[in-house]
Amino acid sequence: MALSNITLGQYYPADSAVHKLDPRVKIVLLIAVIVAIFLAHNLLSFVPVIVFLALSSRLSRVPLKLMLKGLKPLRFILILTFILNLFFLQGETVLLDLGFAAIKKESLLTAVHYSLRLVLLVLASSLLTLTTAPVTLTDGLERLLSPLRAVHFPAHELAMMMTIALRFIPTLLEEADKIMKAQTARGADFESGNLIARAKAMVPLLVPLFVSAFRRAGDLAMAMEARCYHGGEGRTRLRVLKCERRDYYACAAVALLIACVVLCGKVY
Amino acid sequence: MADAIITLDHVSFAYEEDAPQAVRDVTLSIPWGEFHAILGRNGSGKSTLAKLINGLYTPTSGAVCVCGMDTRDEKNTWEIRRRAGMVFQNPDNQLVATVVREDVAFGLENIGVPTEEMPGRIERALVDVGMMAYAERAPHLLSGGQKQRVAIAGVLAMEPEAIIFDESTAMLDPQGRKEVLSAVKRLNRDKGITVIWITHFMEEAVAADRVHVMHDGQIVMTGTPREVFADADRLRPYRLDAPVTARLCQRLRKEGMPLREGILTAEEMAEEVAKLC
Amino acid sequence: MLIALENVTHTYQPDSPFQATAIRNVNLEIRPGEFLALIGHTGSGKSTLAQHINGLLRPTQGRVLLDGQDIHAKGFDRREVRRAVGLVFQYPEHQLFEETVAKDVAFGPKNLGLSDAEIKERVAEALEKVGLDEPGMADKSPFELSGGQMRRAAVAGVLAMRPEILVLDEPAAGLDPQSREDMLQLIAHLYSQGSTVVMISHSMDDVARFATRAVVMEKGTIAMEGAPEEIFRHPEQLEKMGLDVPSVCKLGMLLRQKGLPCPADIFREDQAFDALLSLWKGGKAHGAE
Repeated sequence: MALSNITLGQYYPADSAVHKLDPRVKIVLLIAVIVAIFLAHNLLSFVPVIVFLALSSRLSRVPLKLMLKGLKPLRFILILTFILNLFFLQGETVLLDLGFAAIKKESLLTAVHYSLRLVLLVLASSLLTLTTAPVTLTDGLERLLSPLRAVHFPAHELAMMMTIALRFIPTLLEEADKIMKAQTARGADFESGNLIARAKAMVPLLVPLFVSAFRRAGDLAMAMEARCYHGGEGRTRLRVLKCERRDYYACAAVALLIACVVLCGKVY
Repeated sequence: MADAIITLDHVSFAYEEDAPQAVRDVTLSIPWGEFHAILGRNGSGKSTLAKLINGLYTPTSGAVCVCGMDTRDEKNTWEIRRRAGMVFQNPDNQLVATVVREDVAFGLENIGVPTEEMPGRIERALVDVGMMAYAERAPHLLSGGQKQRVAIAGVLAMEPEAIIFDESTAMLDPQGRKEVLSAVKRLNRDKGITVIWITHFMEEAVAADRVHVMHDGQIVMTGTPREVFADADRLRPYRLDAPVTARLCQRLRKEGMPLREGILTAEEMAEEVAKLC
Repeated sequence: MLIALENVTHTYQPDSPFQATAIRNVNLEIRPGEFLALIGHTGSGKSTLAQHINGLLRPTQGRVLLDGQDIHAKGFDRREVRRAVGLVFQYPEHQLFEETVAKDVAFGPKNLGLSDAEIKERVAEALEKVGLDEPGMADKSPFELSGGQMRRAAVAGVLAMRPEILVLDEPAAGLDPQSREDMLQLIAHLYSQGSTVVMISHSMDDVARFATRAVVMEKGTIAMEGAPEEIFRHPEQLEKMGLDVPSVCKLGMLLRQKGLPCPADIFREDQAFDALLSLWKGGKAHGAE
């Protein structure tokens, strides 16, 4: 009961142009934006990217706080990247001499460059997951990958697996909670002890959970067959993905972004 | 048997070659539009029987025909399952999508219904089970009874002629059981859908047109609910128990009280007792 | 030993957008030797309440007392509460995990730190109590058992800890009529042997048959409390809460509506049988037939 209200992933529902973009377009454009980020050679070429992401973020009506929250788990990596690059790269112009190490201009620039790249990559990806419901994302991925069916790539099956996984995660979490409580009532201790003790303590939780998951899978397969499921052949869809005008504008915007990035790289 | 939607002709089934038979020589005929209950304890073979009817299993001997089609013929499989839908016992393990509306669409997508037709069919199905208000909800937030009704809607949208309910209320609380049973009775009465209701709850079988009692893979009793429940003693070896009123009735009759046979509900009992006192 | 809940409130996920208060200001004593039934709609807080009795859940406000001591106070060893109060969840067979039935039943005693000899004794005792003591049963994998047997094995796992209070959350859920009856008889037997029983149930017939006291919960608070006979005298109140009365109660009501002198206290099948018989015989004596 306690866990049944989890919202899956980071999706933030809102009524914005970004939310309404075709998921296939969003996925492809994310890849394009990632390419743009990697194409940026110098700090100036990051400016168009930052502007683009800031504008998209405004357009998406997702609160800035939420967007920045995605960076929180990465703070250690970011700091580490920054420090490593700052102190351990070669450079000539010394800016600050700390005695045990010297901060050089080139290293500082490189450190900022790599860190910024990381931040922008995370922000761009967050924009996708914050504005696209998991199921819509799965849909988009399936359509994008479906041409690969010609070479026997199981695009439909993968999408089906992802949808079912998303559907069952809250259910399985609830069950795990219940099993944990039942074993605790029998004196099990999931909290104390060293790593090995705690790993062993997981057995009374994991075995029943797996048994239950397999049972569910069997039941579900039967229920799906009873509703005439027979793989991806001949299936129609409730929701049809169609590109609208806004999708073309988005593509144009990203094309413009890439052009700017390349230009800035050449200018400086 | 032209007016039977589903027929079983000397059907037997074993899960594996040398295993004992789960269903033994069952012959059964279900007329169009009726509400049949199959009663039996766990292990009596009733769930296996359910899956033989819609072709999830095929008989090791004998034949099952649905709307004239033999379940052993593979080319009939999908048509049979569309026309004889099935709702299972575990409310959770039938729902596949993350949103109710999309789950109801699942069956329609599988049988290739054109996209334009889907919203209408989905809506009608959800309205029929009283779950239209929950169309955008996530399944894990629903109660057991609500989940089962969504599962029923998922089958209804495919416009079946019959629905098999394999202990669909066994895991529900009394409220949920009432919701589901009354929705099903409505579907049978108002839309003429043939219902095969498999259960171990005696009180639910009271509503049926005909009751079949299964034990050890065979059908051991058949009749109207009144006929079957009148003899509470006869049901006992099958580890079933008649509804409380029927039990009381039989005990009182043994004491000489001239109650008529086949009393099932409290209302009937009160009337009969009032006549005698 | 006496367990008491004092002004207990429990809120799930407090301070979050998903917060939900499951029980509010609940005061309840579990009296030694009683058979307490917890009745209520799904979502009324029964399961949350039950999980406070053995300290599995901690009150957001209020206290849980074991013989007067706060079990959530610093330094209190809650393991004793876990042992003394055995909690059997709904569909307990879902918690089985060991290679053999005996090992699974031994899980509880092992966690208590008992000696091997003691564990062996407890396992044999528990399996005998639940009727799973036939030769070879203990060495089977729990997943080879039938549904009813699995459930009994799970109950044995709790009994092996020799709890004084047994809390059962809908022990007969999902069972067929005979297995249901077997399970209820087992619980009644344990009760007669001295266990205090707290049973969450949706079946008013079961409550009428077995309980010495009943507590009705509604939206997280205790709405009614008392002996089952007293509770079932208020069918309108129960109906408003979406609850039923025992099946023979309806019969009694209908007979009284028809003007027959049917006693108001019929809750169990035997009572109904006696009452109807005497109604008929009484009617005969007065020349009604």
